Amino acid sequence: MQYKNQFLILRIKNIKLVIEGMNNMEIYGTYGKYLPEIKDEIMHKIDELNHEIDGQGGRKLYEHLIGRVKCEDSMIEKCQRKGLTLTPKSALSNCKDAIGIRVVCNFIDDIYKLVNLLKTQEWCKVVKEKDYVSKSKPNGYRSYHLIIKVSTPYPDVNEKNPGDYYAEIQLRTIAMDSWASLEHELKYKHNIKNPEQIGNELKRCADQLASCDVQMQTIRQVIHEYD
Amino acid sequence: MRILLAEDEKELSRVLIAAMQSTGYEVVPVYNGLEAVKEAESEIFDAMLFDVMMPVMTGIEAVQKIRAAGNQTYIIMLTAMAEVDDKVTGLDAGADDYITKPFSLKELLARLRSLERRNENYTEDTLDFGDITLVTTEQRLESYNSISLSAEETKLLNILILNSKKKLDNKTLIEHTWGKNEKIDSEMLWIYISYLRQKLQSVNAHVSIYGNKRGPYQLINNSKEDPK
Repeated sequence: MQYKNQFLILRIKNIKLVIEGMNNMEIYGTYGKYLPEIKDEIMHKIDELNHEIDGQGGRKLYEHLIGRVKCEDSMIEKCQRKGLTLTPKSALSNCKDAIGIRVVCNFIDDIYKLVNLLKTQEWCKVVKEKDYVSKSKPNGYRSYHLIIKVSTPYPDVNEKNPGDYYAEIQLRTIAMDSWASLEHELKYKHNIKNPEQIGNELKRCADQLASCDVQMQTIRQVIHEYD
Repeated sequence: MRILLAEDEKELSRVLIAAMQSTGYEVVPVYNGLEAVKEAESEIFDAMLFDVMMPVMTGIEAVQKIRAAGNQTYIIMLTAMAEVDDKVTGLDAGADDYITKPFSLKELLARLRSLERRNENYTEDTLDFGDITLVTTEQRLESYNSISLSAEETKLLNILILNSKKKLDNKTLIEHTWGKNEKIDSEMLWIYISYLRQKLQSVNAHVSIYGNKRGPYQLINNSKEDPK
């Protein structure tokens, strides 16, 4: 019975969200249509960087790359949480992660190599960075976050034309990525009986994965010592 | 502590039980070697006290059987024989210590206290050095970030911390980490030193390991002005 009630509440919540979403469909306003294009262009640039390095005889810098435009509902929820008015300016200038790119690397060193490389690129400017790799979040989360600003051929919310857009780039290893997806699953399960214990176990797991990442890095260095 | 006492002289046994119980130990008494072996097989003890000369099976035989079964419990022999050879026989059979009869209760209790100290106080759960903490029980290294260590890395870092004032050569480190029989050479030690170095770096520790492949190695604290 209780389960049924919860299910009902969830459904009502979802319907409410959908309705609210419909009312505010236009949080990105007329700028919404540019976002997928800008996202693709950034991904293309990073892909080019990878090929450039690969072509120079280096190993590829990352294993894979994914990108998304934050859906309007999530953006509305974020603006509300931050006490921002529901306008394109809030969504695209105050919030800087409407466009999100995730770069998944094989080794920890590759993350830093890519970060340094991105900082030297003319097509983007790093405006903020957070290194959760060398200092993980208390729950064990590890990733390197960059906010970049890119010049585009499109008008922006600050009435610049051609204008600037922001994107968040998350760089992490394969191990960090799998961990984050497991943690994400946990975050949205509210019927867990012992969340604190599970949280501790997850943290331990993060430390063990970090251990493997560092170990693989070290082995690679030892192998290259013989070169 | 829970103690298995094998002593066939009823009078002596009773005195020993009373003395040990009054100190707060739990005592399980048996009266020959065979009973001792059976008890050791079925229950867990922190220490065992065995008389040597007992009916059915001697204390020496009992120790041999218990050790052969893989039991590593601390064993003290109570021996009437003060001859050097007898002590040697007992120790070689697998005993850890001996007391020659007649002995004072004070001495026996002092030895048990010493054993207790070694078991409890000398195995630290956590070790601090500079701005790092090694949680040995959980094989975890902490500083401004945390990371898991393997069993060997934990042992290696443990020795380096406990002996941070000394330069430790390859042989010493290998023996204390892997034991004598393992086929571990300096090359392998170097890889483990490299793991530790990278892990120290990954938790942003101001602690480093001095030394190259040939050894010796020493743990260095670089954060004297800036304690955590």
